[in-house]
Amino acid sequence: MNFIDLLMLGFSEALTPTNLGFCLLGALLGTLIGVLPGIGPTATIAVLLPITFYLPPLAGLIMLAGIYYGAQYGGSTTAILVNLPGEASSVVTAIDGYKMAQKGRAGSALAVAALGSFFAGTVATFGIALAGPTLSSFALSFGPTEYVSLMLFGLLAATVLARGPVLKAIGMILLGLLLGMVGIDASSGEERLTFSAVELFDGIDFVVIAIGLFGFAEIIENLENHEARGVLVSKLSRLWPTREDFRRAWPAVLRGTGVGTFLGVLPGGGATLASFCAYSVEKKISKNPSEFGEGAVEGVAGPEAANNAGAQSSFIPLLTLGIPSNNMMAMMLSAFIIHGITPGPTVLATQPEIFWGLVASMWIGNLMLVVINLPLIGVWVKLLTVPYRLLYPAILLFCCVGVYSINNRIFDVVLAAGFGLLGYAFRKAKCEAGPLLLGFVLGPLLETNIRRAMTISHGDPSVFYERPISLVLLIATVGMFVLMVLPSFRRTREVAFQDEEA
Amino acid sequence: MSAPRKAGGAGDRPDLLTAVLFVGFGALGLWAGRDLTLGMASAMGPGYLPRIVCWLLIIVGVTVGGVGAFRDRQEIATPKLWPVAIILASVVGFAFIAEFFGFVAASVWLLVVGSLADRDSKLREVILLTAGLTAFGALVFIVGLGVQMPIWPF
Repeated sequence: MNFIDLLMLGFSEALTPTNLGFCLLGALLGTLIGVLPGIGPTATIAVLLPITFYLPPLAGLIMLAGIYYGAQYGGSTTAILVNLPGEASSVVTAIDGYKMAQKGRAGSALAVAALGSFFAGTVATFGIALAGPTLSSFALSFGPTEYVSLMLFGLLAATVLARGPVLKAIGMILLGLLLGMVGIDASSGEERLTFSAVELFDGIDFVVIAIGLFGFAEIIENLENHEARGVLVSKLSRLWPTREDFRRAWPAVLRGTGVGTFLGVLPGGGATLASFCAYSVEKKISKNPSEFGEGAVEGVAGPEAANNAGAQSSFIPLLTLGIPSNNMMAMMLSAFIIHGITPGPTVLATQPEIFWGLVASMWIGNLMLVVINLPLIGVWVKLLTVPYRLLYPAILLFCCVGVYSINNRIFDVVLAAGFGLLGYAFRKAKCEAGPLLLGFVLGPLLETNIRRAMTISHGDPSVFYERPISLVLLIATVGMFVLMVLPSFRRTREVAFQDEEA
Repeated sequence: MSAPRKAGGAGDRPDLLTAVLFVGFGALGLWAGRDLTLGMASAMGPGYLPRIVCWLLIIVGVTVGGVGAFRDRQEIATPKLWPVAIILASVVGFAFIAEFFGFVAASVWLLVVGSLADRDSKLREVILLTAGLTAFGALVFIVGLGVQMPIWPF
């Protein structure tokens, strides 16, 4: 089948009433949680993961993906109108977007953000469609050695690009790997690290960890940081951007799309990193950088295009290599696994309808989001006035039912509560939980491949640097590690992330 | 997060807590896996990689703690015990009640007790919210999605 046929196959899958419905549901939910501060896409997807088990595989994946990119749209709405970024990825949008709104150009900013996001989403979706088959045919030649090197590269890169101290992130990955080893060892059948608890023989369920670390811990933390949210909504002006805004915005959108698509593919990349980089790119190349921070339309267009492109293109490593590049993708990976599908090069060959259906749905979802967002902005902004005390009981209930429904047993819920406590401790220790999730998901895969590679080579570790692809990946990993230790790079990285937290 | 206070003395408390957690889990892993077969590099036993990971975790923990001990003093944001205790109690209670008395009782417990975690909760809102969410949950999760849980205690 050629490219067009495959794309048609994808659209015919994505356009069935069920899938269309779940695409809309995902986009709506994504916008909703994007608008509401305190609820992020990671927690939402963790909560909804067990529920997708009851849906057809493609419908569940379409919905979860919709939540992720929908959140990028929703986050920008509140960033512009009330200077309250709903998502980390729209923090920079608030800088110039809110200034534009104060100057009575809110409509213009919103339209630029939505249209820029749509354009970027379209380009990135085509990027996935084009890169997918190429990359996965390349990945089919990978043996266990290459996979080990690729995973080491991915895990380390994820720590460099994620926020927070690198060493803590590496520790969290190791802890994730350790948690992934709990249960019965696949090759010897011995139980290990289970403390003789029968409930742990199958290993710890991903949902238990995700809901504990992200669901429960996040609720506790939000309740602790009690802050009064005075919401002042800027007046909405005309929605269509002026010709001048258009002229200035479109090159920024193009650049943002490029930056976002590229950074999304990198391990540890994704929407947040992409939007920050795009903002600094715009600021650097602008003829009058002093406008930034005072309502420059480029400062909205670039990052908004970039975060959406990054959200989409971060699916590429997952769908083609089976390697999740950030914690959102780790969630998606487990959503695949719940349905017995292991994402990776073989999915494209054996179940093309899953890959192409998902890709086509992403484009449809982006189209829906433009329609949902622009005319309904008033409704979304109203939602901001819903206080957290009414929201968190609902989240709590979803979390509990979700965890209980995996195996219908008390044990999982209690364990998830324990992970909630652990997640809370990690927040106190200023450790990001994302890398742990990544390590947990990749752990079993990494271990199997290491053992396989070492068995094939009769215990000789030189295979890892004798095979060319593996060697290149290892050199890249070592190079990255050296860079990280260099003081000058560390300083730039810290500065970059300080901006983010401001 | 309240801004970290900078007082005199040394010791980055969040880093020290990190070190305790990492070293603790590393040691726990080593202890739990003490009887596992190690095997050789060419035929790794189930204990081979866990042991490596545990030792790496301990090394990372010691490094983070060692560096943190000499940094400027940073406090951990003061924990408030109330929300932590209430949320965990409501969740654990939910599991046990759901097992023996069905969804409705468990959900009411979870929502009423869970609402205590936020001092702002108002009685009228809690009642309405509990009723609404319990009905919604029973319909969507149990009737709609087929989660295996009895609705009523009988």
